[in-house]
Amino acid sequence: MSTAMTGQISLEQAKSLVVFLEAGQQAAADAVIAEIQNPINSELFAEIGKLTRQLHDSLTNFQLDSRLNDLATADIPDAKERLNYVITRTEEAANKTMDAVEAIFPVVDTIAGQVAAVNPSWTKLMNNELDLTEFKSLCLDIDTLLKNTGKETHNIHRLMTDVLMAQDFQDLTGQVIRKVIDLVREVEDSLINMLTAFGISAERAQEQTSPKVGENLVEGPIVNAANRDDVVEDQDDVDDLLSSLGF
Amino acid sequence: MKVLVVDDFSTMRRIVKNLLRDLGFTNISEADDGSTALPMLQGGDFDFVVTDWNMPGMQGIDLLKAIRADASLSHIPVLLITAEAKKEQIVMAAQAGVNGYIVKPFTAATLKTKLDKIFERLA
Repeated sequence: MSTAMTGQISLEQAKSLVVFLEAGQQAAADAVIAEIQNPINSELFAEIGKLTRQLHDSLTNFQLDSRLNDLATADIPDAKERLNYVITRTEEAANKTMDAVEAIFPVVDTIAGQVAAVNPSWTKLMNNELDLTEFKSLCLDIDTLLKNTGKETHNIHRLMTDVLMAQDFQDLTGQVIRKVIDLVREVEDSLINMLTAFGISAERAQEQTSPKVGENLVEGPIVNAANRDDVVEDQDDVDDLLSSLGF
Repeated sequence: MKVLVVDDFSTMRRIVKNLLRDLGFTNISEADDGSTALPMLQGGDFDFVVTDWNMPGMQGIDLLKAIRADASLSHIPVLLITAEAKKEQIVMAAQAGVNGYIVKPFTAATLKTKLDKIFERLA
């Protein structure tokens, strides 16, 4: 910044300053003073520049804070509503599907029962062992079976269409969940930025990824079983573990 | 045989009920957590309990412990059907005296196998 010298004024500068002042050359003396102060000013300006940048960064971070405020007061309550919608829709779909399936069970059982009733006589007929009265009775049974099956397959078809239509929840809830994932990502980014602004490393927070086991033992479905060694992956693992305990 | 199905989600109770009915269990009651289940068990002559683990109020593991601690109920076999899959939890359930442990998601075949095993042991 300044020329090669250790102090803020050189002997030449001091001498010329005295010379100018003795000669009454005020303007020239002032010029020397300005020259002497110049390096000091440069450092001062650099320092002010640095402070200005820090102030600017801090203000930007304050804006981040206000985004966090929006996230907390508006976006997250909205996300809760969206996730409740997912619960409602999936529950509706499960119930609609089970309504249909529960309605189909007895219908299928009835048909199976009628087929079982007809079968012995039918086998006899195929072996030419059926007499006329049995044949007449068989004809009536088959008549009932055909009429009932015709009517009920129509019914089953309608119920299976209900099951099919109940699956539309996947599309709707998928869209909603995707939005919530975007929100979570934004919250994560904002929090990481805030940590960085406060000089806290985001890395440190990653140390405790696996939830602590203790009083709060329940965790719900494990979504990353392959990456963990404290959980079982499937029923076979459960059975192996239990049998190792003497079950 | 009188069965009590305990789960906080009505859809899961409905699934388990349908599967049990298919396996010949027709006398089935429902409760939505341990604290509703326990008085039902104490008041009725239940022969078998199928319960979830994670429920608001009293959890399945605590229901299991309460059943084992009650002299009039301790003989009732208990099957846990749960999404909880930590080894520590399975060990804990085994130590508390569970008769079977099924992790969700599960199949009808798994349920049948475990039930057969439980009643085979008790016979």
